[in-house]
Order: sequence, then C-alpha cells, then structure tokens
Amino acid sequence: MPNVIEIKNLTFKYKDKIALHNIDIAFPARQVTALIGPSGCGKSTLLRCLNRMNDLIEQTAISGEITYEGKDIYDRYYDVIELRTKIGMVFQKPNPFPMSIFDNVAYGPRCQGVKEKKKLQEIVKKALLDAALYEEVKDRLKESAMSLSGGQQQRLCIARAIAMNPQVILMDEPTSALDPIATAKIEELISDLKTSYTIIIVTHNMQQAARISDFTAFFLMGNLVEYGETDQIFSKPLQPKTEEYITGRFG
Amino acid sequence: MKTNRHRLDKIYLSLISFISLFGVVILVLVFAYIFNKGTRLLSWNLIVGDYYPEVYNARSDGVIGENMFVRPENLSENAWFSAKWGIALEDNADFEGKNYIKVVYIDKNSPLANMPDKNDTNHMVGLKKGHSLDKVIFTNNVIVLSREGAQNAILLFDEAEGIADIIFSKPGNGIRGSLITTGYLILFTLIIALPLGIFTAIYLNEFANPGRWYVKWLRRLVETLTGVPSIIYGLFGAALFIPFISSITSSEGGNILTGALTLSVMVLPIVISATEDALKAIPDDFRHASLALGANRSQTTFKIVLRAAIPGILSGVLLSIGRIIGESAALIYAVGTAIKDKIILTEKSTSLSVFIWSVMSGENPNFELAASVAIIIMIFVLLLNLGIKIISSKFIFKHN
Amino acid sequence: MPRLLLIPAIISASFVILIIMFVIQKGASPFLFSSYGDQKVSFIRFMMGQTWFIPPNEYGILYIVINTVYVVSLAAIISSPIAIFSGLFIAKIVPKIFKNLFQTVVELLAAIPSIIYGVFGLGVITKFVVRIASLGGIQTAGGISGMATVLVLAVMIYPTITLMSVTAINTVDHDLGKASLALGATKIQTLFKVTLASAKPGIITGIVLGLGRALGEATAVSMVAGNAGSGPVFDLFKTTRTLTSTMLLGIKETSGLDYDIRFSVGVVLIFIIIAFNILLGHFKKKAGRFA
Repeated sequence: MPNVIEIKNLTFKYKDKIALHNIDIAFPARQVTALIGPSGCGKSTLLRCLNRMNDLIEQTAISGEITYEGKDIYDRYYDVIELRTKIGMVFQKPNPFPMSIFDNVAYGPRCQGVKEKKKLQEIVKKALLDAALYEEVKDRLKESAMSLSGGQQQRLCIARAIAMNPQVILMDEPTSALDPIATAKIEELISDLKTSYTIIIVTHNMQQAARISDFTAFFLMGNLVEYGETDQIFSKPLQPKTEEYITGRFG
Repeated sequence: MKTNRHRLDKIYLSLISFISLFGVVILVLVFAYIFNKGTRLLSWNLIVGDYYPEVYNARSDGVIGENMFVRPENLSENAWFSAKWGIALEDNADFEGKNYIKVVYIDKNSPLANMPDKNDTNHMVGLKKGHSLDKVIFTNNVIVLSREGAQNAILLFDEAEGIADIIFSKPGNGIRGSLITTGYLILFTLIIALPLGIFTAIYLNEFANPGRWYVKWLRRLVETLTGVPSIIYGLFGAALFIPFISSITSSEGGNILTGALTLSVMVLPIVISATEDALKAIPDDFRHASLALGANRSQTTFKIVLRAAIPGILSGVLLSIGRIIGESAALIYAVGTAIKDKIILTEKSTSLSVFIWSVMSGENPNFELAASVAIIIMIFVLLLNLGIKIISSKFIFKHN
Repeated sequence: MPRLLLIPAIISASFVILIIMFVIQKGASPFLFSSYGDQKVSFIRFMMGQTWFIPPNEYGILYIVINTVYVVSLAAIISSPIAIFSGLFIAKIVPKIFKNLFQTVVELLAAIPSIIYGVFGLGVITKFVVRIASLGGIQTAGGISGMATVLVLAVMIYPTITLMSVTAINTVDHDLGKASLALGATKIQTLFKVTLASAKPGIITGIVLGLGRALGEATAVSMVAGNAGSGPVFDLFKTTRTLTSTMLLGIKETSGLDYDIRFSVGVVLIFIIIAFNILLGHFKKKAGRFA
C-alpha cells in the first residue's frame, strides 16, 4: 500500500503554545484513517495542516515536512490552491453555500474554470450519486441547499468535495452535529467512498473509529501516542495511555 | 498555472483596495477644502460677533496736535500709520473681493476714538480696531473713500485739519446669533423628544407584548419615521407646528419653537432605537434580581433597568445633537432662512447649518464664511462621534 | 403603569400618519380650492407637465420626477460598486490594524451634514465639472449641472452603502469562506462567489437605504442642481431640477399657491419613496431566496 501523505517531524505552534510535537505519520492510499484523542490533543490541527487551512490563522509557526505525492506541500513554490483541489475537506457543521443544490456541487469545478453546462451537469450528477444523495434531490437541484435536512446537507458537502475529484478527503468530525440515523448513513457512505478515495477522519466517537477505519492514530497533548491498524489499536494497544483512552477511563 | 492564478488574485485584491481608498480621498478633500477656505475667517470675532454690520456716522471736534502719537512696534508692515491721528489702517478685501480699509490700531487718546454721533450728538461713538473705514469728509472738503486704499487715506488724514463727516462700520458676518439658536434648538428638541422617546422605548421593550397586533403596528410606524427625508419633516413642521404655535403665541410664521418641535419628531426614532438597544443589552438577571427582592415591574424598570440604560440613552442624545446641528432642509421650511442677531424664541432665526445655507444661496455665495462655519460644525460632529465611541466602548459592551 | 406608557408610544407612532396626513392635506389644496385669488391647478397637467410653471396657475412635475429618478439612479450606479468593494475591503481584506481606521473614515463621511456636502459640491465638484466640460469644449452654468448632482449624491450615499455592506459581510458565517477555500477556490473567488453572494440581502438593504437618502436629499442637491424650468434633462452638463430642489429653491413667500404647490411636490416625493421601498423589498426577497 503506497502512502499518499507522509509527515516527518512536524511541529506546529500557535502563538507560544505547541499544538503538535514531532509528529511522524504516513497515510496509506484508499484506506480510512481515524484520528482520535481527547479535545485539544491536536488531531484537528493536524488535519488542517494537510490542506494548509492553518495558513488562514495568524501567529502560527510550522516546522518539519509534509509531503503529498512526494512533494513538500509547505514548499514556497507549492500551489496551495492546486493542493486543495486534490485534498478535499468536510467540516464539523454542515456548511452548504446559500445557493442552489446544483450550484453548491458545481462550485469547485466552476472555480477551476469549468464552464460547459453539460460537463457540469455530469460532474454534479456523479458527485451526488457517489455521495448517495442523488435519489433524494434529483428533482429539486435548483432549490436552495438550505432546505435540506442536516444529514442531507452534510452529504451535500461531501458531494461538493467529491465533485473536485480529489485523491484525499479530510473529514473533521463530520457527524458530530447529526442525529444517529444521519450518522449511520454518513458512515455507510464513508465505507463506500474508500474504494476510490483516501479518507482521513477526525472523530470523537470511539465506536465510529472502530467501525469505519482501517488505521487509527491516537493523539494526546500534541503527541502521536500510537498509530496502527484499527483492529490492533482497539484489541491490543501497545501503549497504556491508548488503552486507558479507548476503554473510556479519560477523555 | 500557479503563478498566473496567484498573480491575478493579487491584482484583483490590489484593485479592490485601491478603489476602497475612495472614502479616504473624499474625506481628505472635504476637510482640505473647508479648512483651506475657512481658516482665514475663523476667529473669536466670528464666534461672538453680530451677523449684520453696524454703521456709524460721526464728526470729530477733537483738537489735533502735531504728530503726537507714536507708531506701536507690533504693527504689521502693511499697516499705514498716522502720527497725527493715532490710527493705523490696512488694505483688506471682503469675500466678494471688494477692497476696504481696515482699522488695525487706534490709540486710546486719538480724537477718533471718541466722537459725537451725527444722529444723536449726546451719544459718543468711537472707531475701534477691526472696524472698516467707509468714507471720510474732511473740513477742507477732501473726501476719503474706502476703495482708494489705506496709503491714500493716511496721506489725506495727515493733511487734514478736521473731520466734518466720518462713516465707519463694525463688520458683520458673526455667528453668535446662529450659535445661540443652535443651542436653543438642541435644548428644546431634547426636552420634547427625550421623555417621549424614552417612554416609548420602555413601553415597547419592557411592557408591550410583542405578539400583539397593535404592538407590531406601533413598532412598524415608529421604524418608518427613520426613512422619512428631512425635507418632508420640514413640510410637516410648516403644515402643523407653524399654525399651532401661531395660534398660542403672537408669532407669525416659522420660529425657533416650531423648529424644535419639528426636529423633535425627527430625532424621535434615534432616541427610541438607542434606548431600546440599551434596554436590550441589559441581562434579564438584572430584572429578575430586582423582582425577586419584591420590587414590582414599574419600580424595577425605573429604578434598576433605566439606570443601567443611561449610557445607551446618552449616546442617543449625542446622535440626536449631531442630527440637530447638521439639519438644514427641515429647518428651512419649519423656521426660515433669516439670519438674526437678537434671538427670540417666537421669531425666525437660523441654526449654524441654515446659516451656511443663507450665506450660500444669495447672488454671491460667501464660500469663506460658509467654510469657517463648516469647520465649527465639523468640530462638533467630530467631538460627538468621539463621545459616542467612548460611551459604546466603555459601557455598552460591558453587558455582553 | 403599562397602560399609561401606551400613551407616549401611541404619540410616537402617530407621527408618521400625521406627517402623511398634513403634507397631503396641504399638498392637495392647490388642486381642490382656489384660494389667495389663484385659480385651481389642474392635477392632470401637474402630473404630466414638462414645464415647472406657466403663469398664472399651471404647474408640471413629470419631468422633475424623471430628472430625480435619473440622477439618483446614476448616483447609485456609480456609488454602489465602489461602496460594496469598500465594504469587502474593510470586512475581509484590510490588515486588522487598519480596519478601525477605514471604518472610522466611512463613519465620519456618514456623519458629515448635507449642508457641508453642499458647500463642498459648490466649491469643488462644480469646478471639477467645469473642467471636465471644458475638455469637450462644453459650456456649463458654472458647473451647476446634472453631473454635479449625480457626483454629490454618489459621495453622500457611499458611506450608507459601505457601512451596511460591512455589517452584512461580517454576519456571513466564516465556515462558508473556509469551505470555499478548502475546495481550491482563490481568495477573490471566495469573496465574490460566497461572501458577497451570502451578504446580498444585507447589501441590497444598504442600497435601498442609500437610494432613500438620495431621493430625499435636499440641501446639497439644491446647491448644485440648478433650477431648470422645463425638461426632462438628460444632458449631464445642463442644469437640472429635482423634486427636493424644487421644494427648497425659489421660495418667496410662506403662503399662497407658489408655496403650497411645493407641498404637492412633497407628496409626490413621499409616494416615490414608498414605491421604491416596495420595489426593492421585492428584489431583496428574490436575492434572499437561498439565505
């Protein structure tokens, strides 16, 4: 299994606080990797380093190396916009744009200069099909995305990311704002998606990590404590801290 | 690919930033213009002086000695001094560019400092510093005219033996009357608008049931007032308040009271929304704590809630004052445009803004005078804005 | 107590009704009665007229309405894009330390009274118009013109629209911008396609407020518009006449037909403002469809 993203010796500072400390990790292609750990452990920060969303926050400093397809993404000449078209992201709260369902999904391709109507329709249809939303919305693509339910909105956001045809999809606690039924649908979707995409998901929910991921990384106070196959992490963790966390003794 | 897209993005961002400098440019231009035009006339005399010039007509019986006066040392180089009469004159130009002779110095023992008034010989008048010398007829029948210049005048003065007739004037263009009028307008407007506005806000925010149909209508109607243009307020004031005040006083036509009534309707929405914002910012804990201590709702409102809302009400007051100082269109209709030096509440007069309108709307607009009054108005506006900023940063956010 | 407080509330609310009543009452009188020895004015000719005054009793206002709508629209067309860009600049582009400075500049512009804009208009903008006109060899009445009116109005509504745009843009959810950037959109694409699109209803409200201010603006406009006796005037270098300048200019006495007819002009202004608000409220609903 080739690795899509490799991180070497990554340290990330926010103001004077160290948020990530000497992280070494690699994410294998077409697998689901879950990042777990208590609040403030740095898992979301790590996720946002991968598509350089942390660039938007002031007073941050980063050292170490993150390579995507063998290229250092923090290189001065690396095109961050290009990067974000290859690495999509789904946020904690569903955040569709206040426009029609169609325009939401077509947004990314349009920004990349796709203008042809037929092509856009194709892209949108495929993305919605992949996100298992097409059947529910095919008759109302022109309606506002705000009219969808929370779970549908989140799947729309996934479709929006898929429409860019990325290699990697980052998910930052994508189900934390959803009810159990909507959550189940998203989890099912994630399992389907991993045949074509590399998925890195931050989650608070242990069971979710165990259910959907192939690999799991456990973070604690900015450190990567343990990383391995999900089955191993949940059945025979090597580190005592990991065991304490997954058995619910803290967090 | 990368460089192109990023460069395009940068170009657009710089373009937007450049266009956004429009506001700064306009502000600088406005300030530069009024300060450039207005500073020359800006003086204490402008603030305390009358608008209308006062013309004196006198003759001099004074005995003139030979060259008994000494030229004071601090006199400017442009001034022409007469050692015989103890006066110094200078050429000056009024706003229309007409030349006149300005008295820049007069010795207190000069015969010209104390002369019998031609119209009333028991009354003494005197030439003073700052006066304009309009016309002099000497006893030898030589005539001095203002437009012939100061040097010529001094030469003729030095040759003359006595003065048969002298006309001089205290220059006008002062704004004292308009300043006082503005003060009156602020005072009476607030006296009317504050209680009405505050009580309305208290009712709407503290007592009214927001679901009721008539409360919705009350609110909608009050909010609609905000969008009424000031000239419409003026028409309203002229149509309602002028006949009303005329019927209860001896006044005829617009006056300061009708102006204040009109302005109070105009600032009403400002007072109401400022008070309501302040009331909304007060946490319900405040009210509950007072109610829990056994105070009833009225007591709670007037003793606790209203006191906490004072900073917000104050910023409403400052906003209203700013609106009153700046208002012109409404007052042109509700009061009129006649500039007055003697201020009577039941007569016409101008606020500072209408004063500018009056001096600008004649045949020869007086830009300099208008600009100096504009400077004074802008100073008020800046101070008021500063006050509002201070209040909102110190008090209002405390509640949140 | 609450019952007693209802009284000031009712008084405050009644003023809008009183304003409309009294202005209409006085504004209608020239058409209904022949007073002061004047004949009744024809309402039809008043509404359709191309000349302000034909002695002894004919007044016409249609061309003035057209002039007003014309200059106000041009002012909004010039001012709105600049103001929206400025709003975007203040809310999203300018470095944080300068944000307050630019915001304060716009707030100050909003606080400058219209009489001062009038002095500025007559002292600076008309001179500018004269210069522009002379480039094309055109004579103007000392710069007093439709163009001067448009420029003064554009300057005056700029702060209104800018401040509303800033507020509207600031209320847009930050997550939307992040989502757009995460999709590989550039900053400009994000600002225009997401931020501005989401802030549209608020920005349109700002434009409505700006239009309202422009329509009702009297003093500054009267100082630079001129007093064209007939029209409509589309040539921007010629003097024009708006509803408000008609009301303010040339008042000789405070009674009689020539005075009362100005209230009729006021009534027309009131109805135009109401119509504008309804029209743009409708647009706003359309724009806010997805919000």
